[in-house]
Amino acid sequence: MTDERTHDARTEGRLPCGRDTDALVAQVADGSAEPRDAHQRECPYCQAALAEFDRLWAPVRAVADHRPRAPEGLLDEALRRIRGVAADPEFGTISDVRGRTRISAHAVESLARHLASGVPGVRAALSRLVAAGGGPETSLVGGPEVTAGVAGSSTVVSITLAADLGEDLVALGDRIRATVADGIRASTGLEPVAVLVHVDDVLL
Amino acid sequence: MSAPGREPGLDEEADRWLVGRARGGDRGAYEELVRRHRDRIYRIALRMLGSPADADDVAQEVVIQLWTAMSGFAGTSAFTTWLYRIVVNRCLNHRRGQRSHDQLADVDHPPVAGPESRVLAGEELQAGLRAISRLPEDQRVSLVLVQLEGLSYREAATVTKTNEATVRGRLARARATLMSEMKDWT
Repeated sequence: MTDERTHDARTEGRLPCGRDTDALVAQVADGSAEPRDAHQRECPYCQAALAEFDRLWAPVRAVADHRPRAPEGLLDEALRRIRGVAADPEFGTISDVRGRTRISAHAVESLARHLASGVPGVRAALSRLVAAGGGPETSLVGGPEVTAGVAGSSTVVSITLAADLGEDLVALGDRIRATVADGIRASTGLEPVAVLVHVDDVLL
Repeated sequence: MSAPGREPGLDEEADRWLVGRARGGDRGAYEELVRRHRDRIYRIALRMLGSPADADDVAQEVVIQLWTAMSGFAGTSAFTTWLYRIVVNRCLNHRRGQRSHDQLADVDHPPVAGPESRVLAGEELQAGLRAISRLPEDQRVSLVLVQLEGLSYREAATVTKTNEATVRGRLARARATLMSEMKDWT
């Protein structure tokens, strides 16, 4: 009986009580199958239609509730193609009596970015290993022109970031340096000889 | 209308900063943008196409297309609006291409089980995705953007380059179509 009524409702657009079925469908789709007004609370046609529409809408609700995450690694290949295959040749090396561990510059970059992004006051952070090439140590204070990188068991990391407006940027820089250096040391064993922090922008 | 599907954590200001740097050729900034929106890209593709395998393909294509199209992004709208448009269009093109490919396909090769089972647990979810993927294009786009992604009518109209009344009408038709399609659902 209920099926018949709601089927008719779908095809004819109005319930026997005169209510517009599209409005009831919208009501259910917007998340409320409960009777909304005095008429609906008393009307068997409206109540049956709302219950039926709610049942039929369940699969769409399941899609709305499903929050899938992109499969791990799915977009890495696309990013690698953009980055270029030979763009990441650097490795740091940790040696001990049991052997050597090589850690790519990209791995250290990712770790540094992740660590910096988690510091309160940072809105977005980018990191890069400054290019290897054996430049003079004094260039370490220069930011972009620094010419150290991952070499042996040492690393220099440059962080470029956007911070929250109103932050004490000097204190923020100190917190980032400490967090990133400690994190890299703990996770990789590499020694961060410098963590350069460049606040590029402040955001509302 | 409220936005039931709106995802928390969007940061348009940070996006704008990253887009500005990416447009200047900063690949690191672009990678960060992709990291921030990767789940959204995948989710829209899955909802538009109904198949994880197709969503995988489209998500990868979008990441490459976005990079090459970055210089064309005027920045007058939110990055997410532009992103939605690119993903939706890519999905529609993917489906059209697939349809013509299917017409050429050898009928002696039946479809085999793909990676669909990877994420599609639950009959309701599968039934929902199937029904949505069968909607006509214009209805499906409006339903995905407004009903599932939580965009306002105005935002969806901007994405689809239509107007609010058009989006509203298409959404109403999509809902009615789905109700009709699902009438045997138990």
